[in-house]
Amino acid sequence: MTAATTTTAGQKYHQHSTSILKTLQATEMLDTKPVLPAEIIATILDYLPVPDLLRFARTSRRYKEMVYDDTRWVARLKSMGVWDEAGARKRFEEAVQRRRQQTISSGVGRGQPIPPPSPTGTTKRESLFFDADLEQERRQHELLQIQLQKQQISDLRDGFETMKVSGGGSGGEPPRDVEGLLLVVKNARSIRGHARQEYGRIYGALAPFYFDLVRARTHTDPLVFKVFRDPDRQARMLANLRSFARSDWADGAEGRREKLEGMTGIFESAVLREFEQGYEFWDVDGRMKKYAHVLEVLNPGSSAGVELFIQKHPIFADREVLANAMDCVNQAMADSITLEPSRRFFEVLGRKVNEQGEIIGRIFPRPQRVFWGFVDKVREEIMVEYITPLFDDAHQRSIPSYLRAVSGIFEQTMLFLRTLTPPKGGEVDQEAKAKEIALRIFEPHIDLYFQDEIDTFTAQAEREVGEWEKKLSEQEASAESFYMGSFANRQADKKDFLTSFKKVVMMPVTVLPTSLGLPIGSPFASSKPAATAAANGGPSTPSRAGSPAPAGTPGDRASSPLPGKAFADELAAKAALMTSRLEGIKSLFSIEVALSLVHGAKASLGRVAVFIQLGGQVGGEAREMCETIFVTLLRILGNGHVKPGFDKAVTHLSQYNPREVSEHEKGGVAPLVTFIELVNVGDLISQMIDVFYEQQLAQPKIADRNDFLDPAGMAKKKFEQMLDESVAAGLNKGIDVLMDEVEYICATTQSPTDYNPGGISAPDSILSGTIPGMEKAPAPKPPAGAIDMDIGPSKTAQRIKDLVASHTSMLVGSTDKSMLDVFNGEVGLRLFTAVCKHLKRQRISTEGAIKLIADMNLYFEYIRTLKNKDLLAYFKALRELSQIYLIDAKHAKEMATIIADGDRFGGIFRAEEVYEYAERRADWYQVKREVERAMYGLECCVM
Amino acid sequence: MADSSSTTKIVLESNEGARIDVERIVAERSVLIKNLIDDLGEEAVLAEPIPIPNVNTAVLRKVIDWCKYHKNDAAQSADDDNDNRKKTTDIDEWDQKFMQVDQEMLFEIILAANYLDIKQLLDVGCKTVANMIKGKSPEEIRKTFNITNDFTPEEEEQIRRENEWAEDR
Repeated sequence: MTAATTTTAGQKYHQHSTSILKTLQATEMLDTKPVLPAEIIATILDYLPVPDLLRFARTSRRYKEMVYDDTRWVARLKSMGVWDEAGARKRFEEAVQRRRQQTISSGVGRGQPIPPPSPTGTTKRESLFFDADLEQERRQHELLQIQLQKQQISDLRDGFETMKVSGGGSGGEPPRDVEGLLLVVKNARSIRGHARQEYGRIYGALAPFYFDLVRARTHTDPLVFKVFRDPDRQARMLANLRSFARSDWADGAEGRREKLEGMTGIFESAVLREFEQGYEFWDVDGRMKKYAHVLEVLNPGSSAGVELFIQKHPIFADREVLANAMDCVNQAMADSITLEPSRRFFEVLGRKVNEQGEIIGRIFPRPQRVFWGFVDKVREEIMVEYITPLFDDAHQRSIPSYLRAVSGIFEQTMLFLRTLTPPKGGEVDQEAKAKEIALRIFEPHIDLYFQDEIDTFTAQAEREVGEWEKKLSEQEASAESFYMGSFANRQADKKDFLTSFKKVVMMPVTVLPTSLGLPIGSPFASSKPAATAAANGGPSTPSRAGSPAPAGTPGDRASSPLPGKAFADELAAKAALMTSRLEGIKSLFSIEVALSLVHGAKASLGRVAVFIQLGGQVGGEAREMCETIFVTLLRILGNGHVKPGFDKAVTHLSQYNPREVSEHEKGGVAPLVTFIELVNVGDLISQMIDVFYEQQLAQPKIADRNDFLDPAGMAKKKFEQMLDESVAAGLNKGIDVLMDEVEYICATTQSPTDYNPGGISAPDSILSGTIPGMEKAPAPKPPAGAIDMDIGPSKTAQRIKDLVASHTSMLVGSTDKSMLDVFNGEVGLRLFTAVCKHLKRQRISTEGAIKLIADMNLYFEYIRTLKNKDLLAYFKALRELSQIYLIDAKHAKEMATIIADGDRFGGIFRAEEVYEYAERRADWYQVKREVERAMYGLECCVM
Repeated sequence: MADSSSTTKIVLESNEGARIDVERIVAERSVLIKNLIDDLGEEAVLAEPIPIPNVNTAVLRKVIDWCKYHKNDAAQSADDDNDNRKKTTDIDEWDQKFMQVDQEMLFEIILAANYLDIKQLLDVGCKTVANMIKGKSPEEIRKTFNITNDFTPEEEEQIRRENEWAEDR
């Protein structure tokens, strides 16, 4: 198909093109006379040397115009780099403006020709434009030309005279004119319509020197070197000639330019030699300064002198600066490193470099560039030479000291680079430059360092958790349960602990050594063995009191070298104190382990974080590394430590059987208490992590709090979620356990006489069926007990209430509010069921009803403290229900009404249920008939 | 395609009717012909000779000689930067010899180069003419280029004085 299309297209083209070709063939061209069209002439003019060009202008008016065309000359000025288009436009517009105003002011007498401007040169120049009246323009032009000519000719003549005179040896250099020659390029103006004159001025000044130089055979010949004796002026003239050469387009220009370059080269190397000699004598303000400026003038941006200066600089052989990097390793204790020698090294280096910076400022015209070039060389020759072997050696000896060395030296390097005082007069951004240099130094090390850092941290954390677990399994046999001494001030304790923790976390990781020169590290790197020792001592003594740990650990830590050790000690002591209080859960997980993990992470993080300031790719990597450390911390702490603890606690809970436990007087269900403590500690750890995240990651902007895809944030959420799930699972089990306990208490402690004080004699009293029966009832019992019973709740109810209340209150403030509500609701509901169940097993007399009501009131009051409305309705109903027992047997009819009255119980109990409860009356068989009649009889009547 | 088509023969026809075979790559030194081939398609061009109506046989041959010699030169881009460079490059030896023709022929070549749009050849031609002008007095220039003097002697003197700065030494 494609082929077909092509063919047709081809055919079409064919026809079409043949027709065009035919037309072309048919066209008859007239005889072509060899007269070149204007455009070609214009091109030819471009190739003409200036004198020939201007001679060509004399041939006819047409060619004069062509030659005089301003753009031709603007192009030459442009090629020299002296034409300022913007300036020219501005000038032109200003001129137009002025002219317009002039026109307006002179336009009073309309029809009158515009009066020619005043004949003074300046006004003429300003009021001259393209659109000016032709006549006027020419006149002005010519006048101006003549003026200019005179000036230039005199200039020129001066130049020539100078040459001749200097050759004659009279030495009469008119300084003003010589200076004028030097400035001719610099002073060139960009005025439209005057480019030719401007170029003429430059040409007049420079061409003689230029062509003379081109003709010169040896480097002593050229006029430039004869007219100007001063190397500075010679250099300026040469620079002028170089830019002038760029506007030389005529045939052979290439050769001329080469010649000029060659001559300049010879001159440059001569100057360089002078500079070098000055260098050898350290003649800073004399020869060095002078020749550095000459070099700059001659060839702006050339680096010959700069390179010489840097290459031969004595600092690179300075014994004092070239310190031995191994001092850092050798002066420290085994397997450790001290950064004091390196600090001294950087200090000395910084001082020296700054001295040189000041000298550079004196010597060179553009010191910034030289200075940074110098610093770069220092980096290459001195710093890298110092740092690399140090790192290599440290890496071989011990990884932790390597990690500290890299981070510490980096910090020192940045400090060094920031304290440099570059010479003034440049716009180089020192901070950016410092980063660039630091990056170059550390780039080869940084990957290895990051890898080691994360590996070390992971290994350390895992080892710690592992050690702890090992210890735990050894200890398992003698596991025992201790409960927290006082529940009351738990929250206060936690708060206290967290405050200390915050203080420690906020304390910067001081990677720089203090003046003491002691080994550096995180507060907990050194305190860890101490903590472990204390923990190790613990299990061996079966009855471990709280005191040894807090007493022992801070003592060991006293040697901590950090300035912030006071805080660290405070925190450590508090941690130990917490641990001792939390003996009960130490078999599950340890807050000390968590703390030490967090501190390990903090140390690593602090070391890595210094690299973030580098920005760019490495900065990004450092940031990622920080997040990775945090994620690793959470992974190990969460999955490796906290979660197994929770799992274990839940297992303990589910295995709990109240009937197998001998002691019930403790005031709590042991595993549940343990678990709830665990929730507290879990919460504490979670808050710790939160603080850590805020302080270390969110605040320094390492991690973005609002970015939900951020790995650190995600890991944190996951950790919190894991904690919540564990807590929820545990609480679920916990409720079961708690209710088991409640039922157990009900079953074991409630004596039948509690609600039925009449006991065996009850039927008698009921038989008598009178109020005296009530009075009689307490008689068999001890009077004291009777009074007690009358006014207060039963012992069982009291115990149940205490049990439940203590457990629920323990959770306050340690878990999520909503979870707490759910937990309380569930506990209340289950308690209700348990009480109902319990009630159905009792037999209650009218006398005992008071006791029952008191019990129910107790529950009700307790539930009210939970502030759960739905739950309260249940217990309200229960309270109402308990009143049916109080009704005397004689009022069976009213009893029936109450039983049938569903509203009374808020819909919690149906009539049938209430009826069931009523059956539990001690005198039920006496009142049953009456009640039933009242209930069903009424219905019969209706029927 | 480029390889096979570059050696394809194309026939050019001078204004005197003479037909000259050239390789396509040679002919394409001329931007005019190149555009023509691109526009019309190869077949059309192969089928019939391309007329070059304002160039005579001798000049056309001369121009083709030049194109043959320069057929592998890099194509020129016409930006400003190059412009300056181009201006300053000297005429190479072969071109100098090539341009050793009488003035009429030289002008014809320039005109042909201009018509056929062969920039490099045009430049060489112009440079050659410039070299001819070099060092000549205005009168000599007028003679060479057949220019009528429309200045009065005073005017001419005026211009000379205006530009005295350029007259050397």
